[in-house]
Amino acid sequence: MTLANVRNFCIIAHIDHGKSTLADRLIQRCGGVADREFRDQILDSMDLERERGITIKSNTVTLLYDANNGERYQLNLIDTPGHVDFSHEVRRSLMSCEGALILVDASQGVEAQTVANLYIAMEYELELLPVINKIDLPAADPERAREEIDADLGLDPFEAVLVSAKLGQGIDELLEAIVEKLPPPTGDATKSLQALIFDAQYDAYRGVVVVCKVEEGTLKPGQNIRLMHTDKEYEVEEVGLLQLKRVKKPELPAGAVGYVIANIKTIRDIAIGDTITDVANPAPEPLPGYKEAKPVVFSSIYPMSTDEYEDLTKALDKLTLNDPALTYEKDSSAALGFGFRCGFLGLLHLDVVQERLQREYGLSLLLSAPSVRYRITLENGDVQMIDNPSDYPDPMSIATSEEPYIKASIMMPERYVGVIMELCRDRRGENSTFTYLSVGRVELTSELPLAEVLFDFYDRLKTVTQGYGSFDYEMLDYRETRIVKVDILVNAERVDALSQLVHEDKSRARALHYCERLANTIPKQQFKIAIQGAIGAKIIARTTINAYRKDVTAKCYGGDITRKRKLIEKQKEGKKRMKMVGSVEIPQSAFVAVLKTDES
Amino acid sequence: MSPSNRPGLYVHVPFCSAICPYCDFAVITGDADRRSRYVEHLLRELEISSGLSDFDTLYFGGGTPSQLSHDDLRAVGERARLASDCRVFLEANPEDVTHVSASRWREAGVSTLSLGVQSFDDDALSFLGRRHDAADANRAIETAREAGFETLSLDLIFGLPGQTLAQWRRILDAALAHEPEHLSCYQLTIHDDTLFGRRKREGKLLEMGDERQTDLFLETHRYLCDAGYDGYEVSNFSRGAEHRSRHNEKYWDHTPYLGVGPSAHSFDGRVRSWNERSLFAWQKWIDSGALPVSGKESLDNDQLLLETIVLRLRTRDGLDFDAIIERFNVDLLASNRGLVDRLCDEGLVELDGHCLRPTLEGLAVADSLASSLQLPDKPCQPNLQ
Repeated sequence: MTLANVRNFCIIAHIDHGKSTLADRLIQRCGGVADREFRDQILDSMDLERERGITIKSNTVTLLYDANNGERYQLNLIDTPGHVDFSHEVRRSLMSCEGALILVDASQGVEAQTVANLYIAMEYELELLPVINKIDLPAADPERAREEIDADLGLDPFEAVLVSAKLGQGIDELLEAIVEKLPPPTGDATKSLQALIFDAQYDAYRGVVVVCKVEEGTLKPGQNIRLMHTDKEYEVEEVGLLQLKRVKKPELPAGAVGYVIANIKTIRDIAIGDTITDVANPAPEPLPGYKEAKPVVFSSIYPMSTDEYEDLTKALDKLTLNDPALTYEKDSSAALGFGFRCGFLGLLHLDVVQERLQREYGLSLLLSAPSVRYRITLENGDVQMIDNPSDYPDPMSIATSEEPYIKASIMMPERYVGVIMELCRDRRGENSTFTYLSVGRVELTSELPLAEVLFDFYDRLKTVTQGYGSFDYEMLDYRETRIVKVDILVNAERVDALSQLVHEDKSRARALHYCERLANTIPKQQFKIAIQGAIGAKIIARTTINAYRKDVTAKCYGGDITRKRKLIEKQKEGKKRMKMVGSVEIPQSAFVAVLKTDES
Repeated sequence: MSPSNRPGLYVHVPFCSAICPYCDFAVITGDADRRSRYVEHLLRELEISSGLSDFDTLYFGGGTPSQLSHDDLRAVGERARLASDCRVFLEANPEDVTHVSASRWREAGVSTLSLGVQSFDDDALSFLGRRHDAADANRAIETAREAGFETLSLDLIFGLPGQTLAQWRRILDAALAHEPEHLSCYQLTIHDDTLFGRRKREGKLLEMGDERQTDLFLETHRYLCDAGYDGYEVSNFSRGAEHRSRHNEKYWDHTPYLGVGPSAHSFDGRVRSWNERSLFAWQKWIDSGALPVSGKESLDNDQLLLETIVLRLRTRDGLDFDAIIERFNVDLLASNRGLVDRLCDEGLVELDGHCLRPTLEGLAVADSLASSLQLPDKPCQPNLQ
């Protein structure tokens, strides 16, 4: 197949506008799967993805389409993850495409997220094809959708294809439009090899299955390849296309999107965004845009009950086979026992890992407050990277502390500039500037401490821009800061799992927030409980839980005794699930409530 | 502890002229015919319930035992294998107390009359759905006095929605004016499966808040203590140890007891069983010659120990650690030393030699005191004979 008959594209859509359903329909129409095997939303293969309606791992599928002009086309549908934490994956995926379908719901019109995603696609200079979906709905108003495509997206409304992914209407027209309107990839199969790795999966029998787009040259079995950034060499065993199943091919020429199996043992041996080249005929330089996926957010994960520790160990081992960005090492807490200190790409990544551990591995977990990694220089000149409050050195020995900054890029309609500037200022943003991307559309960049973004920044951003803001960031550098370790004391006993490293200016508010959350979730006990926030010996916040005064029931005669005993047996059983801190019983629900990151 | 280890006999009389809106006991309204059938079955149950004998207490509870005739009471007393010094307790409603009935109960051997007065406030009485008013209550008490019961006990209910400390003190004063030997003061408890429970769910009845209930509870004990009463259990007060409820104390120290009648519970020191709740099911079993037991449990030593702790901490005599060592071979004090010290510091208990006695404040939180004591990890090695 010649390059002219290949199309690489993705679908950009608001969360409910039917992206996965449309993908399913395209797959079905091109005979990618028999009807009886058909499972809705094939591309979202993780349970979690199906449930949340988001794509976490990208999936790719190659479709063969016989067009009306008599030619056969190879359509590579590249699914993209939909969240900023996975932006490295999104970018790699988008880099593999020449075109994108912009999906608009005929009943809802253009929505904020569609606009936000469009900005990203435009950054990659993708050819955009508007698609109006859900035309079968009674509330569908394709004409209004067309107007909005014109006004809000700045695209040609008359190019828009009308479809109902649910009913399969308009799919043929869409496939024709993909072939006609989206450009084929460019590249030269005879040049030295450059293939971009944009995804990878682990197969228990074959090792790592690398998904890549060949930009230049040709990839084939027997070839010795080098991964240019990790600088490792392998011999290619097999290449092929991902037609839901792996379909072996003699080679992958320039422009092709497919898989490579090369006896790569673990997913940690490869890096998304790396460039594959030929050892015998190497490319002079790798493809641009490579960035190492480094964990930037850290949290300790503990099993709810200590006997689940082994299961947690196994689950993390397995999870990292397909999620190389997740790092973990042993950790322990006096209050919560043994656990793992884990590193994540961002808060959503943390969330996804937590949910997968709970759902796919049936574990109940406690997570400590997420932290960034600080750089601490001691008086004696030693430099330490600290992400765990329990490793925080004696403040007297610290010469300087630095924290990671990001360059946040926020794109939004002009009218939200004021509130976003305000938000960035509140989060200790520096050097905020904005530029007009087009009439009414503004990009604001701000240098923010990453720690400030960890707590509900993205939610706040979405709220204040009513969903029209898009957010992306890149790591910038480390800057000097004033951090303190805030401890939480329950009746003067430190609860190690609740300690946090916080900017000095925010320490009091954070401490008070924690104290109040605890006061609201720890049940009254026989004693008065003092809950304090402290920096060293200095108390900066305080709440009190008063002792309860009465719990005894009035009557206890013949018939009441069994009932009473059972009640107390149950209470005693419940206490086993409580964590004792000094003399105070803290239910797990209190840790869960306090450590929730939804509010700061 | 009760003065004897001899068992007690409880007779449940399920009849009431009307059902009070707060009551969750096994009660039923019934005519004379139904009552006489019930008594026949009761006597049969006493016959087939072998095992315990030499009862030194006989307690008629309900329901409304005063709805039974004195002949019925006498017949039950004769059929049961009572000790010669057995004390007989009878619960009665004020409206059933007349000179005639009272003297017949005396003749039938009743030594303690427990009057379901509940309140001396007419509004409170009508809220509680009672069939008497304050004047009836006063008259009934005077009538009972004249009949000369050894112990006159009054039941009162506090914690009615909106009740103030002053209102409750007035009710206590009205009760104290009669110088009863014994008082039972129960906090109003709203059970789900009662009329009050339904009203509460519907938002038509507002239960008193915890803080005010606590205030009333503590005030009850303080007020009655000042008046010379010993609050020997959470809800029970006596003027002198001889007027304590010898029968109820058996429940609180695991002395065996036999319960007959619908829903009555029995305990033989190890096994607790309970009768069919419905009058008809209960009668059917007896008709077939079988015990009307609907369920039972055999307590292991840990459960017996836990119950001992729970029950003893509801009494001002408290938990005797030496007695626990003797009975269960477990040194609870040694394994809870730190906790006990802290509870003492908090003023919830006093350690009197080998006895852990709840203070008044401790009595108010007796349930959690009981659940905070650590039990031994391994099963007890009992000294049970």
